[in-house]
Amino acid sequence: MTTIGLIVNPIAGMGGAVGLAGTDGQVAEAIRRGAVPRASFRAAEALRPLAGRGIRFLAPAGPMGADALDAAGVIGYDVISLPGETTSAADTGEACRAFIDAGADLVLFCGGDGTARDVLDAVDRSVPVLGIPAGVKMYSAAFAVSPVAAAAVITGLDSARLRDADILDIDEEAYREGRFAVRLYGTARVPYIPGRVQGAKAVYEEADDERAKRDIARFIAEVMVPDTLYVIGAGSTTAAILSEIGLSGTLLGVDLVRNKEIVARGADERTILSHLDGAAAARIITSPIGAQGFILGRGNQQISPAVVRRAGGPGRIVVVGTPAKLAGTPALYVDSGDPALDLEFGDSVAVVSGYRIAQRKRVASTVPITTPR
Amino acid sequence: MQTKILLDEGEMPKRWYNIQADLPRPLDPPLHPATGNVVTPDDLRHIFPMELIRQEMSTERYIDIPDEVRDILTLWRPSPLYRARRLEAALKTPAKIYFKWEGVSPPGSHKPNTAIPQAYYNREAGIERLATETGAGQWGSSLAFATGLFDMECTVYMVRTSYDQKPYRKSMMQVYGAECIPSPSPRTRSGRMMLERDPDTPGSLGIAISEAVEDAASHDNTNYALGSVLNHVCLHQTIIGQEAKQQLAAVDDYPDVVIGCVGGGSNFAGLSFPFAGEKITGKRPDTEIIAVEPAACPTLTKGLYAYDYGDVAGLTPIMKMFTLGHDFVPPAIHAGGLRYHGASPLVSRLAQDGVIRSVSCYQNEVFEAAVTFARTEGTVVAPEAAHAVKAAIDVALQCRETGEAKTILFNNSGHGNFDFSSYEAYFAGMLIDYEYPVELIKESLARLPVTG
Repeated sequence: MTTIGLIVNPIAGMGGAVGLAGTDGQVAEAIRRGAVPRASFRAAEALRPLAGRGIRFLAPAGPMGADALDAAGVIGYDVISLPGETTSAADTGEACRAFIDAGADLVLFCGGDGTARDVLDAVDRSVPVLGIPAGVKMYSAAFAVSPVAAAAVITGLDSARLRDADILDIDEEAYREGRFAVRLYGTARVPYIPGRVQGAKAVYEEADDERAKRDIARFIAEVMVPDTLYVIGAGSTTAAILSEIGLSGTLLGVDLVRNKEIVARGADERTILSHLDGAAAARIITSPIGAQGFILGRGNQQISPAVVRRAGGPGRIVVVGTPAKLAGTPALYVDSGDPALDLEFGDSVAVVSGYRIAQRKRVASTVPITTPR
Repeated sequence: MQTKILLDEGEMPKRWYNIQADLPRPLDPPLHPATGNVVTPDDLRHIFPMELIRQEMSTERYIDIPDEVRDILTLWRPSPLYRARRLEAALKTPAKIYFKWEGVSPPGSHKPNTAIPQAYYNREAGIERLATETGAGQWGSSLAFATGLFDMECTVYMVRTSYDQKPYRKSMMQVYGAECIPSPSPRTRSGRMMLERDPDTPGSLGIAISEAVEDAASHDNTNYALGSVLNHVCLHQTIIGQEAKQQLAAVDDYPDVVIGCVGGGSNFAGLSFPFAGEKITGKRPDTEIIAVEPAACPTLTKGLYAYDYGDVAGLTPIMKMFTLGHDFVPPAIHAGGLRYHGASPLVSRLAQDGVIRSVSCYQNEVFEAAVTFARTEGTVVAPEAAHAVKAAIDVALQCRETGEAKTILFNNSGHGNFDFSSYEAYFAGMLIDYEYPVELIKESLARLPVTG
């Protein structure tokens, strides 16, 4: 029997409806502006198709889970904690740890990017997670496209495969000021059901992400040339490259490698530029970040337009990504902060997706193009 | 104006054309995988009958087709040559497009042109069973058909992705009485080794060849049969190009451009060698000959011309050919028959010498061309043949630009009636445009020391 731990962030999404860029630290203001809690309704939407299907649910009492299960008509679930009146990240952590202890197969959470981070903090990669979208911002890749889609993933859990999903940390302060400052917070394991079109299910595309990462890493390690400076971006796919050559980098930062040795770890833009100055040749290795698949501009801002230019331009960037990840991102985006540089990427880019295998992916514009009339 | 140009059965060629006779320099010899010495006929005796070994090494210009083989070939040969007038009209091209239609054979492709003689020579040598590999299943079903006619047993190791993608090809082999096993399989040592290393491998022709060779070498009553690459296979396919030449002569034409898709190279060789021979010998020096490959596996376009193994386990002779490396497992494109790391040594030599040139195409543009073809000429072609269709359309469109009325001839090597799941994936937007990351590979290879 499948056991699912459900956690609802009751205040998720409240800020959005009343013009706040998020709800973190803004609950009182949101309520003052007339926001009403809606996450529980969203959760119930996802749970309704799951009622009576023999799934064992675990949840905290009240608005953090049990209310949504009641509303969806799920009976006989286990209450695993009693959170206080005002819920907090600590309550989320406590509930998630209880789910793990009770042997949950999946943590189903309802909220936004902030909730995803709290869940990831507690479960890390020990249990797969899946998000029911209910927040203001949902840039992380752990969310189903809708509550009903989340239900569909769960009913097909037996045939689902796991893939890595980037959990992003968006700076809400900056976001409210109209700036998009984001970093990669971590990667969660998320169930994913590939398209069910008959015949399109080529075995390879569905193969496990870990295997694909190893294949990519084996290939990149093989084509690394001496004396070239490698600027290696954030993410687990690029981290696999470092581990292939016997190095451990920073999963979430930018590391510099030359002759298969680390020359700088967790480098900022200035450090990268100073190393590039002395380099005979350079290559940048990045993996598309987030649910949208940004080559540049999300989660790896250290790789600035100046860094890309000093390395020799977009042609020196090697984009890597697993087939499962690429299957979920029909197009890739570039938002380096320098529109002229973004244009130099052209219409498409080859993404290394296996051992001596690449996929040609469309690069979509992040800027709406207006035609002068 | 004629649509189909047909020959009578009596006009079917009585000899195969051997391009080795017309090569300016002989082929570099195959080397023994264990010793590195030049392969002798004796080395091949435990997997091939002597007559095929003789053909493999022959430099005689013509080799007679046995009567019994010709008799069976008349089940579908001579195959028709079509003038694709509706396609020409749709493309608004001044070019004339002809295609040789090999999908009329019982298994639906050019493959039985060599399956029949291979089974025949093996039976003549007292062999009771053949083991082989198959990619998309066209070769496996053809050898199943051929061995059935000669009362022989047949075991086919089918590349696992194709086994899953094309279930009806297995059924066809069963109908013809053959046994079909997904490769890598636990039945052979090479298969077990691959499964141990990578239980989720999609398989590849290179792996399946290792299994079939091992099977043949370890059973006294069993020989191995290869559906492409080798000289004798290319030889048997030349019946295609010889017929085409006669058919075009019947309408007083000769191709300016000859096109075929290349996996191992046999259907390309079959159509083009008779024309390549006339190009080499100066009789028709200006014919343009184009080999079309998938961008995911661009052996001739992006590979190295070097000695390499024909299979993954390193059991076959080492051959001088264009190769992407025998350890390369190409991505699971739908044109399974083109997923081969190497190419026929004969085709490779012609590419190296500039007699032919190669182009590579992405999956989606190939299927788009196939759909255009189906909507004008009616036939739904196999994904492999669709590569030739794509290149033919491209040349025809260039002719529209330049106003040249070139005569284009391409090999339509097989039908796609077992490939509708691939078409379905195309229409659903699920086809991935794989490519070979050649720039990264070349950058690292450039640093390798150059050896003799």
